[in-house]
Amino acid sequence: MVDTRPFLPVSSSDGSNPSEPLANGRKPMKALLSIFFGLLAVGLLAALLTSNNGSDFVTENEHDPLASSTTTTKSEPLRPLSRGPAAGVSEKSNRLFADENTVAFPWNNSMLSWQRTAFHFQPERNWMNDPNGPLFYKGWYHFFYQYNPHAPVWGDIVWGHAVSKDLIHWLHLPLAMVADHTYDKSGVWTGSATFLPDGKIVMLYTGSNAQAVQVQNLAYPADHSDPLLINWIKYSGNPVLVPPPGILSKDFRDPTTAWLTSEGKWRFAIGSKVNKTGVALVYDTKDFINYEKLDGFLRAVDGTGMWECVDFFPVSKTGENGLDTSVNTPDVKHVMKVSLDDDRHDYYTVGTYHEKNVTFVPDDLTIDVGIGLRYDYGVYYAAKTFYDQNKNRRVLWGWIGESDSEAADLQKGWASVQSIPRTVLLDKKTGTHLLQWPVQEIDSLRLNSYEFNHVSIQAGSVVPLEVGPATQLDIIAEFKIEKEALEKATGSNVTFSCSSSGGAKERGALGPFGLLVLADDSLSEQTPVYFYIAKGSDGNLKTFFCNDQSRSSVASDVNKQIYGSMVPVLKGENLSLRVLVDHSIIESFAHGGRTVITSRVYPTRAIYGAAKLFLFNNATEAGVSASLKIWQMNSAFIRPYPNLDNKSR
Amino acid sequence: MKNTFSLALLHLSFCFTFFALTHISAMELHGHGANLIETTCQRTPFYNLCVSTLRSDPRSSGADVAGLARIGADKLKAKATATLRQITALLKVTKDPKLTTALRQCVDYYNAIVKYDIPEAVEAVVKGDPKFGVEGATDAANEADACGREFKNQPKFPIYGSNKAVHDLSAVVASIVQLLL
Repeated sequence: MVDTRPFLPVSSSDGSNPSEPLANGRKPMKALLSIFFGLLAVGLLAALLTSNNGSDFVTENEHDPLASSTTTTKSEPLRPLSRGPAAGVSEKSNRLFADENTVAFPWNNSMLSWQRTAFHFQPERNWMNDPNGPLFYKGWYHFFYQYNPHAPVWGDIVWGHAVSKDLIHWLHLPLAMVADHTYDKSGVWTGSATFLPDGKIVMLYTGSNAQAVQVQNLAYPADHSDPLLINWIKYSGNPVLVPPPGILSKDFRDPTTAWLTSEGKWRFAIGSKVNKTGVALVYDTKDFINYEKLDGFLRAVDGTGMWECVDFFPVSKTGENGLDTSVNTPDVKHVMKVSLDDDRHDYYTVGTYHEKNVTFVPDDLTIDVGIGLRYDYGVYYAAKTFYDQNKNRRVLWGWIGESDSEAADLQKGWASVQSIPRTVLLDKKTGTHLLQWPVQEIDSLRLNSYEFNHVSIQAGSVVPLEVGPATQLDIIAEFKIEKEALEKATGSNVTFSCSSSGGAKERGALGPFGLLVLADDSLSEQTPVYFYIAKGSDGNLKTFFCNDQSRSSVASDVNKQIYGSMVPVLKGENLSLRVLVDHSIIESFAHGGRTVITSRVYPTRAIYGAAKLFLFNNATEAGVSASLKIWQMNSAFIRPYPNLDNKSR
Repeated sequence: MKNTFSLALLHLSFCFTFFALTHISAMELHGHGANLIETTCQRTPFYNLCVSTLRSDPRSSGADVAGLARIGADKLKAKATATLRQITALLKVTKDPKLTTALRQCVDYYNAIVKYDIPEAVEAVVKGDPKFGVEGATDAANEADACGREFKNQPKFPIYGSNKAVHDLSAVVASIVQLLL
């Protein structure tokens, strides 16, 4: 930041008199000079001693969702609800948060224990963050993760471990790696797995060493014949990489999976920053022990800050399968993804990888790495993909943190879940977006289903959907809006964004409409998942997909933001939606996963049997019809692996 | 002769000015000592508190921003621990049941601050994953805030000053750690 203190001492000097009094009788010239010199000395002294203008100005922590109330003495301020036109959603919801200054919500055990998910991966207790080294080996999917064994906050990080046959039913295993060497004494941080041609696994991971320098270490399974990969060995010569010249000791972490070059070397990237420019460093190696740092960066983008959890992988331009990380044929594009430390969001960019000069060139520079599309417009960070050779697909993991208060996390004894693993494919129709979709194995959790065909929802109305308990659901829906309404609506220049809008109660001509999830009968608590169509003054339609948390809970100490983004809708496409509801997590996918939003919500009333599902249409000028298929979802019964000799945590 | 002398004096004073100015700009460029404290504290919501807290620790004169964050967190820990002691001492002598309830809630909040939030913030700063430091310090501010709200409808708020200090200092630490991102 620019120091605005003026160089020259101005009249901010305290106006003290010159040090030497004018003596009578001296020649005026010398007197003048001595005054001048004296003033200069005084002024310089004042400049040296003057402190900065001590204005208490407020720091904008707008990128940190947890810090929204830091700069005021109030708790997180509730958005005041405006009384909209009496119809539809706004009419039915009661304004119950009138007093912003009530005591922090008295969470009881019933409410808190409801929040645990039934079919999302989470450890039995305490804190989790980044996914690490996901892979498939000898019939088992393996998942490792950043874990704090002691508390529901980040710290004392080690590697947790779990296995599954189907990416859904997980069994907890003992900790895979702990902080037991000087090179990871301060933390066993994020890393990725690479398969060698003979089928062996190497794991490269970041260690925060005893001096808190970030270094890269090599580890591998102690026994490659153990399908559970319980024990891991760290290479005796660790660390294999330390921060190179020009990179600070705390800006060097999260190595990617390696890919083969045409020269037969292994290559991988690791994120960092130079001042405020996010960069990806590149290394080549033949044995994962000796490394050659390549000149330059795979990509660098000014102003994006530290690049965490870099991921780099090919996607097919034509096929429906995932690709091994080393594939680099003419029919592929490459995707570069980064997690931005500055705003806690994951961004991806589609482009071309040039192996010879080791660069990645985005297809569209306006959506360069770190400034373009996001995997997920809600709570989603530190994502990592792996190539699943079992089913020839690329699978994506993402860390979903909490959006409630830390006090509640301490009370309930845990924090964070993982998203349902998603397949990742290039969207052939747009060419710019990736499509993310829950892995097909999740369908095995479906129990009884409910079908609704062409339900008509008039402008300004709410329609309850009788589906029984509504806390564990898989919803697939298609919406049609009246054609004449689309044509008739007047366009305007006003730009729309989910986050700055008034949420589901802000009525437009052509939206919002969609679902009310985790809502109670009186709609005092509700989480709208919806579309909003905006018509420009040129007549063009833009469709937005949003999650509105503003009335998700009567509690004041939870996140109340509205998440979302534009979703490209092509000619002939109906508005389609998939929503996974699993207690305190909602994952919503628009148009086959072209735009995805994950939200964490903490209702106090719309829980257990009181949680319901509704359709709503809060548009002023358009009727909407919806067709849905909704399943009750079983629990995944995630629990410790039975009858292991080693103790679990 | 007179003119030469005057000219020399003028020349000398300009040289002195230049010397002093380059000295000042050198201080600004390398952000040394008192100057870094001031520029850092300008980016926090409570400038005076920030400056006085950091300056009260002799380590601050040679510290970089991460060092200042560390100092801030240490001071916060001391203040929060002292406030927790204050609360438990008050609990022993308080007869008023409403006051007792409020104080008991604050014990929970302050336990969270001292046992979880501040250690998280310190670990994050020391190890270089600052976003968790911002989270820890922000959580501490929120806990102190929640404690304060327990007294909203109470006639007396005996720990007002300490609690406000913990809240404000937490906010300061969060802002400083934010600079490390």
